[in-house]
Amino acid sequence: MPDANTLAAPALRRPRIIRSYLLIALAVTALVLVVFGPSFLDRFSLNVLTRSMIYALLAITVDLLWGYTGILTFGQAAFFGVGAYASAMVLSHVGGSPALIALSFALAILVPVVLGLLVGWLSFYHGSTPLYATVVSLVVPIVITQIVYSGGTWTGSSSGLVGYWGLPLGLAGFFRLSGLCLVVAAVAACIFVRSDAGKVLIAIRDNDTRCAYLGLNTQKIRILLTAVLAGVAGLAGFLFANASGVVAPENTGFVFGTELVVWTALGGRGTIIGPVLGTIGIDFLSANLSGRLPFLYQLLIGSLFVLMIIFLPNGLAAIATAAFSRFGGRSGDALDNPKLVALDDAERQSAPIGAGDPLLKIEGLKKAYGSQIVLQGIDVEIRAGELVSLVGPNGAGKTTLMRCLSDGREDIDGRISVSGADISGLVPNRIVGLGVGRKFQVASVFDSLTVAECLRMARASLDRPNWFAQSRELALPAPAVEILTLTGLSGLLGQKVSLLSHGQKQALELAMVVALEPRLILLDEPTAGLTKTERTTIGTVLQRLTGDLGLAAILVEHDLEFVRDISSRIVVLHQGKLVLDGSVDEVVNSQTVKEIYSGGGHD
Amino acid sequence: MLILDILTTAAVLFIVSAGLLAIFGVLKIINFAHGAWLTIGAYCAVIVAGLGLNPWLALPLAFLVGGALGGVTEHFIVRPLYQRPLDAILATWGLGIVVGQLITLWFGRDVQFTPGLLSGTVDVFGISYSLYRLFALGAAVVIGLGFAFLLEGTRLGLTAQAVIMNETLAKGLGIDTGKVRLATFVIGTGLTALAGVLLTPLTSVDPTMGVAWLIGAFMLVMVAGSSFGALAVACLVFGGAQVIVSTFVSPILGGITVAVLCALVLRISPKGFARA
Repeated sequence: MPDANTLAAPALRRPRIIRSYLLIALAVTALVLVVFGPSFLDRFSLNVLTRSMIYALLAITVDLLWGYTGILTFGQAAFFGVGAYASAMVLSHVGGSPALIALSFALAILVPVVLGLLVGWLSFYHGSTPLYATVVSLVVPIVITQIVYSGGTWTGSSSGLVGYWGLPLGLAGFFRLSGLCLVVAAVAACIFVRSDAGKVLIAIRDNDTRCAYLGLNTQKIRILLTAVLAGVAGLAGFLFANASGVVAPENTGFVFGTELVVWTALGGRGTIIGPVLGTIGIDFLSANLSGRLPFLYQLLIGSLFVLMIIFLPNGLAAIATAAFSRFGGRSGDALDNPKLVALDDAERQSAPIGAGDPLLKIEGLKKAYGSQIVLQGIDVEIRAGELVSLVGPNGAGKTTLMRCLSDGREDIDGRISVSGADISGLVPNRIVGLGVGRKFQVASVFDSLTVAECLRMARASLDRPNWFAQSRELALPAPAVEILTLTGLSGLLGQKVSLLSHGQKQALELAMVVALEPRLILLDEPTAGLTKTERTTIGTVLQRLTGDLGLAAILVEHDLEFVRDISSRIVVLHQGKLVLDGSVDEVVNSQTVKEIYSGGGHD
Repeated sequence: MLILDILTTAAVLFIVSAGLLAIFGVLKIINFAHGAWLTIGAYCAVIVAGLGLNPWLALPLAFLVGGALGGVTEHFIVRPLYQRPLDAILATWGLGIVVGQLITLWFGRDVQFTPGLLSGTVDVFGISYSLYRLFALGAAVVIGLGFAFLLEGTRLGLTAQAVIMNETLAKGLGIDTGKVRLATFVIGTGLTALAGVLLTPLTSVDPTMGVAWLIGAFMLVMVAGSSFGALAVACLVFGGAQVIVSTFVSPILGGITVAVLCALVLRISPKGFARA
């Protein structure tokens, strides 16, 4: 690649390697403990720890949902219970032959997955709130518990199911099996959350809207995640049903669901290791202490939990990581710079400027909120290569128009089509798929990610993200690379976004939108609050994008000087109506525009 | 008979949910310690009975105790979490655990019995019906009207409404939103404890009694949004559904009717009954 930019310093990749070694060392230690544990632990401890490790497996699923993706869920207990009951019911009512054990295993995972899909569909739809998902996650365990209670002899009702024969492993065997499953799951989860694909979860937690406007179907991702983790919870249920030889309604209940959340919170959400250690520690201690001081122990855990949520929302692990980064000199991820690579432009045929069918066609658009008409009789066509500025006083309907263009579910009259396709009813991520990128008025980026990770998110709908690792290269379309270079962001790829300045965030968002390779860019006041130099840079970039690369852009802008310098056409909106649509000269010299801006335009 | 059951069930649900709604409506915080406050109220009734006082005295006592504890809670636990509503759910749930354990340490985990506030039956349209359930119906109406008066007729209510509609603006107009929140939380928790007393003749009193009521109340409030009228409608509709399912299908399924129907209603119409 001739135009490959080598901007990162490749020698400084130490922190990542240290972390990988640390993970391997942890995993090996855990495996050794799991294998040799039965030789030095007494029966009681073996029993309790087996249970604790199964619970820890569940805590990982809670952490992935809540800590990483931001979905507070009490529902993992339900999936766990369904898995446990599915296997226990097969084993008690049908039999315990090897084939049936295999069947019970399959059911213990399949049934929760199907239920997970159903719950996911119910919880996540376009416009659903996080609170609603939490509500559903409360209802599910309650419903399952009641079904178990009303199941008669099939589910053993309130006394549960006992006395069935499952996997013939014995105490030590179950300890090792559970431990093995836990280590495998923990390692897989650690690898996944650090991979490029795993960052999608954090992006969804940080800024769902931006994800959607980067073309990601966040609801679908959430539903799939719920289903997969329901399957993992089902596996934990299978282990539990076999190891303990008893399943009871409490295993499916909402109270157990809240306990899982408590353990995850105390261990440290968003760290995988924290919830695992937290769960094992608390469950093991409570089994040991609850005999002597049963209520006091619960009281202690409860108080600790409240204090933790208020003062230390990231749990005990947060202290540990803070100490680690001070000790290891890991000043943020600043050293973890990937190499910036420009994508080959050859396959990208730039359409001849201003020719062909219109890219965007707005016909007779009318938008009203109740009796308040915000937009009326708007007809505009925009072709490739045009840079159209949308101007007008406050309240003219500019931002509303932008919203109608990027979200097909806005209730409008008239027709909006992109490259000939009607967008009515399409959710934002589908419209992004048609080649429309939107930059918001207030920079909308992902605060917990680094610059490089944000940009990679923009490519996630186009290039399949890496599921196993963090890529060392960041491949972006040439214009995006150019924006980064011009604004100096190319030297800050490993920087946390929360540390960027306002102008840098604006530039980053623009680069993210451009990285989508859109054919039409919607920009809502991209220069608001920027310095003169930053403005000029953005102006240059926009002219390059439209003039040289044949993109179309619609720009909402108040700075008329800026508009005059860069636009190829200006559309004037006033009180929801299109007043003027013409070349820069026509508009600038128009009497109407002067009247509107001098405040005399109220007819 | 069925109609009376529906009406009184709805009334009980309304009494139990009103305090939660007051807090959710103004503060946009879900008080998951709601169940604990119901329990506190019920134990106030136990204390009053233990002292050999008139059982009706438990009502004001519960309101005072609940309100006072609520004030402390708002100040130390809820206040830092207004910007993190999901964390507030968790912190208040944790508080619920703490309260439950404290009550257990004090009173033991056994079921307590309290003398009935009202006993016996009356004849309504030729059917003999529990006097207390009818009283609950009246109490619900009084609470509902009381809130309507509080919201519409008093200065506090007016400022609370302002906070509900537009908190930033209210602050800009010089309303001390912190004080409004504190007052709302105190009233909400006081009322919840009062509801706990009213529950004592209907259920057994034990340290975990609140949890059973929490979910139903929570779901009803989610559907009702921030309107007491909507809550009344929701209680009637879902309470009715619960009675019908319990009577004709199975009491166990009746127990989950409210939760399931509320979840479905919210899926179809995310604003619930709030628009009504």
